[in-house]
Amino acid sequence: MFFSKKKKELEPKVSLDKLQGEIEQEIWDDLTKDLSLTPHLKEEIKKLVKERAREELQKELKDRYAELKEEKVEIPPPEVKKKEEVMYPRLSLDVRIQHIILMVSTIILIITGLPIKFHELAWAKFFFSTVGGLQVSRILHRVGAAGLIGIALYHLLFLAFSKEGREIFKELLPRKKDLKDLWIMLNYFIGRKRERAKFGKFTYVEKFDYWAVYWGMVVMVLSGLILWFLGTALRIFPKFVADIAKEAHSDEATLATLAIIIWHFYNAHLNPEKFPMNRSWLTGKISEKEMEKEHFLEWVKIQEEEEKEIETKKAEEGKFKEQRGENIL
Amino acid sequence: MKINRIIILFCFFLICLLVQGRTQELPSNQECKHCHSNPNLKKVLPDGRVISEYVDFDIFYKSIHKKQACVYCHIDATNFPCKNLQKVNCQRCHYKGNLAGAPDLIKYKEYGESVHGRATALGDVKAPMCQDCHGSHYIFDKADTLSRTNKEHIPQTCGTCHLNIYDIYRISVHGEALRSKHILAAPSCADCHGEHNIKEHTDPKSKVFLTQVSVTCAKCHANMELIKKYDIPVEPVETYKESFHGVAIKFGAKTVANCTSCHESHAIFKSDDPRSSIYIDNIPRTCGKCHPGASENFAKGKIHINPAKKEAGIIYYVSQFFKYLTLSVMLALIIYIILDLRKKLIVKRKGEE
Repeated sequence: MFFSKKKKELEPKVSLDKLQGEIEQEIWDDLTKDLSLTPHLKEEIKKLVKERAREELQKELKDRYAELKEEKVEIPPPEVKKKEEVMYPRLSLDVRIQHIILMVSTIILIITGLPIKFHELAWAKFFFSTVGGLQVSRILHRVGAAGLIGIALYHLLFLAFSKEGREIFKELLPRKKDLKDLWIMLNYFIGRKRERAKFGKFTYVEKFDYWAVYWGMVVMVLSGLILWFLGTALRIFPKFVADIAKEAHSDEATLATLAIIIWHFYNAHLNPEKFPMNRSWLTGKISEKEMEKEHFLEWVKIQEEEEKEIETKKAEEGKFKEQRGENIL
Repeated sequence: MKINRIIILFCFFLICLLVQGRTQELPSNQECKHCHSNPNLKKVLPDGRVISEYVDFDIFYKSIHKKQACVYCHIDATNFPCKNLQKVNCQRCHYKGNLAGAPDLIKYKEYGESVHGRATALGDVKAPMCQDCHGSHYIFDKADTLSRTNKEHIPQTCGTCHLNIYDIYRISVHGEALRSKHILAAPSCADCHGEHNIKEHTDPKSKVFLTQVSVTCAKCHANMELIKKYDIPVEPVETYKESFHGVAIKFGAKTVANCTSCHESHAIFKSDDPRSSIYIDNIPRTCGKCHPGASENFAKGKIHINPAKKEAGIIYYVSQFFKYLTLSVMLALIIYIILDLRKKLIVKRKGEE
């Protein structure tokens, strides 16, 4: 051992740095004797040396702790830095903004639309008196409608003309596997299977949510436009078309609201695993744990890709080093 | 004893004098009858109008005031010939706490606040006072068929001034029912406009104010007894309430259709009557009042629709489709959620063990 026990106990840090410095200097001198190094390489070597020195020192310290323990002197173990949970990107900023616009529009539409359907209830009157009358509510409803139609059109353009959009759309297309997954999951729920289904980028739950919005959009936007531009619509269609539009608008609104409250709220908020909410819609990221559980295939795929990337990088670096080495020599 | 007799005689004369003096002051009905039973008795008013001063005493003695003397009301008719008499003021007797026992009701106050009462107060000589509607000499209980305020006679009574409206009303479905078919449940003027409390239709307190119309019509058109008895369609009131028009008017919209916007206020006819505003050929014009450029497309389809009934046609099937779609989807989703939660609970318990 290099130091007396007393000294170590008093200022172990200073001694460590000293030791490191000494070793560094030693190696440094050896190396710089016959090589003329570029600053970049110098830094790299320094780094490597430091790492090795640290490893050696840690070993050294461990031994010392063991000794100290025997002598029953308590020294807290060094804090091991918590490994940060790996987060995978899931939703791009574009998609997140689309979701927020869709959400805000839908909320406006629901709160200004429901009081018309349930006008006989007391809170309908309360709502209209709060927002400043039916006329204000109607304008708000149309603002919401404009937002909804706008984001729907934008989303279609996004699917057609952006690379990301096309990729997402391909993943979202319903497949036979979704039905199989559903069957597996149902069996898993009732205990006939031990394993959960292994999902790709989008589970059937998410696909159902996504395609349900399409159905809702078509019904609500078409019927809503007829009611919005009633005069124009009745120049083209007979009145019973407008009556169908009104009925469909009212009924589909109920269906959509219930779907959001029951299904979407369960999956994104009230589900014990997600409560109070799945934060992906804000951060755009998903934790490794969730990734493994809910998108296993996607997770594996990403890992494989990463490995490949690392390999190619390594290969490239190797090449680079070889070249460097040639240069140095 | 002589003194006693003298006192009694004196008293007798005194009473005779008093009675004679009174009869001299106030002419009896009999005296009035001398002239006023002549059917040709007429008077020329300063504005040139000629009015009859004839009183049919036979009818008068059947009226509600049969026991009253002429001069009780015509207080200024004390001298013969009685000229320039004032209009009779009914409130001379009909006031609160009067000793004659004449009925005093809230109606006098209502009249004062009504469109007629206010016009009278402002000095409009054409505005009706009590006697213009109730009659002057021939006042009967409203249940009496002789009464001017008997339900069947109200249209004529109002029509003496509102002639144009009476002309339309009497051929309308309500007028026909009341006048020709003698259906007393059919509305006269007063059933919609009120009696003593008649307000202008622009007054929010009026029974025919635009937001009140549907309430006023609903008195009969949502009355189950009447609906059953006279086979009135029941749907209109309920379906109107559910329609955009009904919801909008409920929450204070002022430019939205009420019952009379489409069905007219007085010229109400059945939908299969070509005179009706809701006759199929007239619908574009009727709807066009609010929806400029309304075409015959407005007439293709029913107006008062109840989606829950088969008569609604295709709308019924649309409504049924959504009903079962919603029920089945929600049921499936809820079952899935319950299964999922149940499994999670099982896994958690196992983990704890």
